[in-house]
Amino acid sequence: MQRTRTVEASQAGKSNNMSHVSDVTEALQELPLALAPLREEVLANLVMLAQIPAPTGKEQGRAGYVLDRFVEAGLPDAGPDEMGNAVGFLPGKTGQRTIMLVAHLDTIVPESVDHNVVVQADRLIGPGISDNALGASTVSMIPTLLTELGIQLDSNLLLVGSVQSLERGNHGGLRFLLDHSPHPVDLGICVEGVELGRLNYFSIGTLRGDITCDVRPGESRSFGSESAIVVLNYVINRLLQIETPSRPFTKIRFGKIRAGKSYDVEPEHAELGFEVNSHSDAMIERIQLEIEDIVGEISARHAVDARLDCFFRCDAGGIPFAHPLVKTTAEIMRTLGIEVDQGHSPSELSEFISRGIPAVTLGISQGEKNRKKADHVMIDPMLTGVAQVIGLLQTLDRGNCDER
Amino acid sequence: MNVEQWLAERTFHHSNFWDIKWLVEEKERQGLSISLCLPAYNEEATIGKEIVLLKSELHDRYPLIDEIAVIDSGSSDKTCEIAASFGADVYLAEEHMTECGNHRGKGENLWKALYLLKGDIIVYVDSDINNIHPRFVYGLVGPLIRDPDIHYVKAFYDRPLAFSEGLRATGGGRVTEILVRPLFSLFYPDLAAIIQPLSGEYAGRRSILEQIPFPVGYGVETAMLIDIYEKLGMAGFAQTDLDTRVHRNQETVALGRMSFGILRAFFSRLTGAERARFRDALPNIMRQHSVNDGNFEQRQFQIDEIERPPILEIESYVEKFHSELQAANRT
Repeated sequence: MQRTRTVEASQAGKSNNMSHVSDVTEALQELPLALAPLREEVLANLVMLAQIPAPTGKEQGRAGYVLDRFVEAGLPDAGPDEMGNAVGFLPGKTGQRTIMLVAHLDTIVPESVDHNVVVQADRLIGPGISDNALGASTVSMIPTLLTELGIQLDSNLLLVGSVQSLERGNHGGLRFLLDHSPHPVDLGICVEGVELGRLNYFSIGTLRGDITCDVRPGESRSFGSESAIVVLNYVINRLLQIETPSRPFTKIRFGKIRAGKSYDVEPEHAELGFEVNSHSDAMIERIQLEIEDIVGEISARHAVDARLDCFFRCDAGGIPFAHPLVKTTAEIMRTLGIEVDQGHSPSELSEFISRGIPAVTLGISQGEKNRKKADHVMIDPMLTGVAQVIGLLQTLDRGNCDER
Repeated sequence: MNVEQWLAERTFHHSNFWDIKWLVEEKERQGLSISLCLPAYNEEATIGKEIVLLKSELHDRYPLIDEIAVIDSGSSDKTCEIAASFGADVYLAEEHMTECGNHRGKGENLWKALYLLKGDIIVYVDSDINNIHPRFVYGLVGPLIRDPDIHYVKAFYDRPLAFSEGLRATGGGRVTEILVRPLFSLFYPDLAAIIQPLSGEYAGRRSILEQIPFPVGYGVETAMLIDIYEKLGMAGFAQTDLDTRVHRNQETVALGRMSFGILRAFFSRLTGAERARFRDALPNIMRQHSVNDGNFEQRQFQIDEIERPPILEIESYVEKFHSELQAANRT
């Protein structure tokens, strides 16, 4: 379990940030135009990547595709790491710092779903295309785009398509890489498909877990044997009674429930997937204890084995609003005409923050994550989203946001 | 070249041509230009992806294709708008070669493409492919670049029909297996070796395509094979396995009308070569039945199998592509 630390803003770099940005304002504004001839390549890359299924734990195909792109772009060092992350290393001219650009490869879409992508005049439609095929394809294209734009960085660039980010993956791929990378990371950028304008620099505290109820073979002397669904219902009712204050913001979400196979058979097994979010780590700890008590009590009182498995924990934390990375990123976005939406992120950002590495999460385009139909991403804003990433890389390369 | 030899030497898999960089170098060394033609009619669901992928991979990244053009039959949906927005040249078939009149049909678009496109090699790819991939083009162009004796390359695909005793069952669609292959077996046995004679993806050298007539409708693929065979024999052909192709399936009644058109084009070649004779002209009405409230109704479809002459016979074409030939004729 990772504990988040708040990364303090550096005093150095604060004063002259804006002047650096204004120096390059013109060049930055021209970036989307400079990228325009590469639009079809960006779109084609997204289509091809999005059509490769990549549920958590089965990201090999997508990782292989990203690595092919790195190799074709001439990255001197590209390959999978022990976890299966697609890792490409582009050495800088001086290598004075290492910037990691990461996008998770996995999606919540099962392999069995048809991953066909439809290209319309204004949008691309396909399962998981917004979360996170667009982020991953952007990272895979960065070496090609830098070459085409004639940009050579002083900093090393560590490009990562990470595996096992979602669900029980628990950011496993990125955690492994950050703990074992031969190149210590100085700054991080997490790339998500949507929404363009998001600027996340702190994580909300999160606890994720499963509660399972299994009916015991013998009947309870107190209550008799009951359907696992009924018992799980008792648990849910008790969870709903847990106090969740609005300040600090705290919420319990019930995301998944599964039980039963037939109308006429009472199930022996039922499970609930839940998430607790809060800006207070103490609040999350209190709620976790309450849930443990509820599950323990229900298990004892009813004829079931009720178990709680909290498999994911991310503490609240981040870099301050005044951190030069945040201010610089916001300035770049505004220069490109992007409306900045600052807020927390449940993304892999927390892995950087917990290791004291300043990092932000950015979105590439507008679009939608749909529950019942395929996602979509809009084409027009895409190059602006890519431009913000390249603009940020150039700005970070000048040392504007260095901590050390 | 006998059929066994042809099957062994001229049947490829797209992976034989994976080295696109080499194909580009060799194409440039030979001074060839290649045009991609996408005949279309109301294909807004798939045309965008085809253009984005093929243009990006085979034009922008690896300049194998010199131009990409959609020849449209008057789509009422957004096919043309989408195609243009992703950088394809879009031509409305009826607006070009107006001196020759206008007919609606895929064959018309393929024929006019010879005039509208510039390439020495023309690649035709249908616009309704869901799983489009660059292999659909480089797999067809590869044999033409590698071997100057090959003039026309036809695609075939894996079709999940049957599978037994370790043999991959590869065959055509319903019309191929029920109509075209039996006809070829009877009259052009060599052509029965072409696994999917009706596939909508093929590439040919301009030098042969300009010499053959083009049926405007359903018969264009069958006629093309027969006419090229008559000129070059099997030695002029190759075929490439492009793995799986995902597209819309047609209803059986629609396949019936397609078969009617194919038969007309086929018989026209048999009678032209004096291999068959009919006492009367063949009708152009296809009759099918439908049932409404328990009553059978006969429905009649007029299916004219109009043929465009070899485009080499069209003056404006000769002027555009063979001005030296025209000058020689004048003198």
